[in-house]
Amino acid sequence: MRHHIENRIYHVEILPPKQETEKLEADLEAFAVKFNRVMASGYCACITDNAMGNLAFQGSEMIEELSLVPGDDLVMIHLNTFHTKENLDGILDSCARLGIRNLLVISGDGSDRLPRLSPSDVGAQGVEAVTSVELLRYIERAHPGFFNLGVAFNPYEPEEHEAQKMERKMAAGARFIITQPVIGLHPMVEKLLAKYPQVPVIVEAWMSKKLDLLSEAVGYEIPEGTPYDPIENLKSLHAIYPKCGVYLSLLGFKTQYDLVKDCWK
Amino acid sequence: MKIVVCIKQVPATSDAKIDPETKRIVREGIKAVTNPFDAYALEEAVRIKERLGAEVIALTMGPPRADMVLREAIAVGADRGILLSDRAFGGSDTWATSYALSKAVERIGGVDLVLCGKQAIDGDTAQVGPGIAAQLGWAQATYVMAMPQVDEGSFTAKRMHEDGWDLCRIAFPAVVTVVKDLNQPRIPTLKGRLAAQKVEIPTWTAADVGADLSKIGLDGSPTRVVKTEPPPARNKETLRIEGSAADCAAALVRELRQKSLV
Amino acid sequence: MLANTPALRAEYRNVWVVAEVSGGKVQKVTWELLGAARRLADARSCELWCVALGDGVSKETAAIHGYGADVALIVDDSRLARFDDEAEAAALVRLIGKYRPEILVCAATTRGRALIPRVAVTSNSGLTADCTGLAIDPESGDLLQTRPAFGGNIMATIRSANHRPQMATVRPRVMNALDFDPARKGQSISEGLLEGESGAFKTVLEVFHDEENPVNLSDARFIVAGGRGVKGAEGFKLLRKLADAVGGAVGASRAAVDSGWVPYNHQVGQTGQTVQATVYVACGISGQIQHLVGMQSCDYIVAIDKNPDTPMMRLADAAVVGDLYEIIPAMLAELART
Ligand SMILES: Cc1cc2nc3c(=O)[nH]c(=O)nc-3n(C[C@H](O)[C@H](O)[C@H](O)COP(=O)(O)OP(=O)(O)OC[C@H]3O[C@@H](n4cnc5c(N)ncnc54)[C@H](O)[C@@H]3O)c2cc1C
Ligand SMILES: Cc1cc2nc3c(=O)[nH]c(=O)nc-3n(C[C@H](O)[C@H](O)[C@H](O)COP(=O)(O)OP(=O)(O)OC[C@H]3O[C@@H](n4cnc5c(N)ncnc54)[C@H](O)[C@@H]3O)c2cc1C
Repeated sequence: MRHHIENRIYHVEILPPKQETEKLEADLEAFAVKFNRVMASGYCACITDNAMGNLAFQGSEMIEELSLVPGDDLVMIHLNTFHTKENLDGILDSCARLGIRNLLVISGDGSDRLPRLSPSDVGAQGVEAVTSVELLRYIERAHPGFFNLGVAFNPYEPEEHEAQKMERKMAAGARFIITQPVIGLHPMVEKLLAKYPQVPVIVEAWMSKKLDLLSEAVGYEIPEGTPYDPIENLKSLHAIYPKCGVYLSLLGFKTQYDLVKDCWK
Repeated sequence: MKIVVCIKQVPATSDAKIDPETKRIVREGIKAVTNPFDAYALEEAVRIKERLGAEVIALTMGPPRADMVLREAIAVGADRGILLSDRAFGGSDTWATSYALSKAVERIGGVDLVLCGKQAIDGDTAQVGPGIAAQLGWAQATYVMAMPQVDEGSFTAKRMHEDGWDLCRIAFPAVVTVVKDLNQPRIPTLKGRLAAQKVEIPTWTAADVGADLSKIGLDGSPTRVVKTEPPPARNKETLRIEGSAADCAAALVRELRQKSLV
Repeated sequence: MLANTPALRAEYRNVWVVAEVSGGKVQKVTWELLGAARRLADARSCELWCVALGDGVSKETAAIHGYGADVALIVDDSRLARFDDEAEAAALVRLIGKYRPEILVCAATTRGRALIPRVAVTSNSGLTADCTGLAIDPESGDLLQTRPAFGGNIMATIRSANHRPQMATVRPRVMNALDFDPARKGQSISEGLLEGESGAFKTVLEVFHDEENPVNLSDARFIVAGGRGVKGAEGFKLLRKLADAVGGAVGASRAAVDSGWVPYNHQVGQTGQTVQATVYVACGISGQIQHLVGMQSCDYIVAIDKNPDTPMMRLADAAVVGDLYEIIPAMLAELART
């Protein structure tokens, strides 16, 4: 991850089509166009895993089925705990086959329809449920040393709780961190950077103008003050966190894509 | 063995709203999805097929675009889908719906087992499954949480009750309605979904299944929805309980008992 | 039956309650239904009948009268010891044909919701599911049946104008029973089960009663849910105790699930389950919108939180300010005391 940051490689989020889509072909086409554009820019494509609990197709099957070509070290797959063991192993195997090493390991959003890994699936003992921590350990054991594993940090959660969780994630093998969307300077991100100076941290920039959506995405009310300008926020994040990478969520491919490249100076 | 799975296309409930002016259910712009319980019925059918060999037919009654739920079913292992669609079916209540579906089951012919979800998340009645059984004069098992044994002639079903469960043996043909404890439905792969896109889905009309027009649609429905409205607003008063733990607990338990809630 | 003229409708009289029977005993929900049906019968100036099918149910006749029925119609047969819905349906259809009730109600339990749809289809009647309100339309004399649909987001009023009997299943714990009056007497009629009505379709092999551990969250009537304020897996054992004491199930916020304190199938909310319990006790859950959408249609909400001013405390019907580690043990003591 370090070299992504040094080489100003943006992490661009792409959502695979939802299972319930009524226009599958068009959605697949749009995914392919976005993916190829990110590759062409030399950025890193980050593919979500059933985001917000909405059933969607898997990143790895999208790449295989659409014969997309991942650039060298330029794809990151999100992987959460809402899978069957068979499914999880299938995803890890196809990532290995495709040479995709970057995984963002998260507890994730569930839904009624999604299965959930059980502790016995991932060989975890003495726990009630599988969280990102147990999943990290499992991946390390199943594919020792192959993957570069990252974890999420939510600065909107109670501080002590989140700090403890981060310690457990680090102990379980996390090697980089991606934050939830930050607007300007955030004291909890400051503390995170101070605590883990050696770990690459990527801050998430919310590229939608809609802050109410952001409140929904992080689960806590984000105070809505002045109108929000995503591009200005992106610039300020670079200024505030010069040592961090940036993850672009909900990036407008038509309206914003060409603007961001000049923001990281 | 021949298994029919009844699948209803429903709006994603959390979006259901009443138009404050017309007092009608707003359906525009709301996503239509497979009724969640029906995914469990389908999964069980596919598992029986994988174990014993069977033909699995997904059946839905709905508007033309309801073919979507059939394609999803085919993507996870149904062999084919049948769309029962005709303006004449519009406005059917559970009596008329179960009649129409039973006519389709008869037309398919040679069916051993009809699997339904416990209930649809829009109408919420849980009446169509046993209704189909009654229309056909078949056995029924409702709220089924396990089907431990299935063989060529009969099966066992574990039925959920409020105060436990029971296990019964039933000979085919039969109608079974299922709850979520039954299994964990698989999720379609992209490969499966793409293949299902290309499958031809036949549409059957009322005439195709030989339905008596006086038994379907609004006219064939004994019940009529005469009014829809939002649920009564929640009582805005919050009873604040403060003080020592013992006092709080006593006050709360008293309140719950007074309202016959414990 | 189609009864589309006043003359045909006049052939149908009286209000029937089909008793909920388990293990040969009439269940409490039947008394609630008799309470509601008594009002309907009075409004229609007709008799209230209670139909009980089961093994040993004739012993319940006095109770049936004491809770308000004028007539107890009893089918007491050892072949009905276990729930054979096809047999009960066949007997009911026959009795409906014989006695012609105008209105028939039954509890919206798993048994009632298996049985009555079969009866309604066979006797060509309309059936309204899971009603929470029943009233007689003063003009037409028809039964107006109110029920929640779309997961409780909508209330629908339903009527079967041209078919008799008008049938409804009624949600338990919504209607109020009359006080039991041992002096109340009534008539009783005994009917049999015909050859071929029972055992034709199924054999019940095994019955398991488990009133203590209600199966799943989405069907639970009482839910004790915990959030981050519960602080650990140990704390959930305390919640489980409270749930057991009231015959309820345990729910959780996502914060508790993500911390690994309880499995995901306990999670309530946008990315968990939607529940519709009669009582929801939120312990140490602040009540973010993603949680509220999953439980706000519960009938009675209790919040227990140290912080008096959280969204959950504002939403609740009863808000208890305090430490859940003190309140819950005190509640357990209080519940055990009486
Ligand atoms: C607000 C409202 C209230 C209503 N109340 C009543 C009522 O009280 N009584 C009444 O008779 N009707 C009622 N209806 C009409 C009823 O919703 C429709 O008849 C509907 O077609 C079927 O009922 P359901 O959605 O409750 O299905 P359920 O009976 O809950 O569905 C159970 C299962 O049957 C199968 N199934 C149901 N419908 C279909 C279908 N179209 N295609 C394939 N499989 C299917 C599925 O497997 C499903 O899981 C109501 C409708 C509305 C909008
Ligand atoms: C896409 C998405 C989907 C989500 N889906 C869900 C979902 O399905 N379900 C869900 O629940 N959440 C969901 N969330 C998360 C949600 O936004 C909140 O983060 C979560 O509900 C908070 O859980 P909580 O109330 O337990 O924790 P907190 O908000 O931390 O609240 C804990 C409460 O406990 C109180 N407390 C602490 N100690 C004690 C004590 N000793 N005694 C009494 N009270 C005490 C505190 O005062 C506080 O009010 C989702 C979030 C996102 C982004």
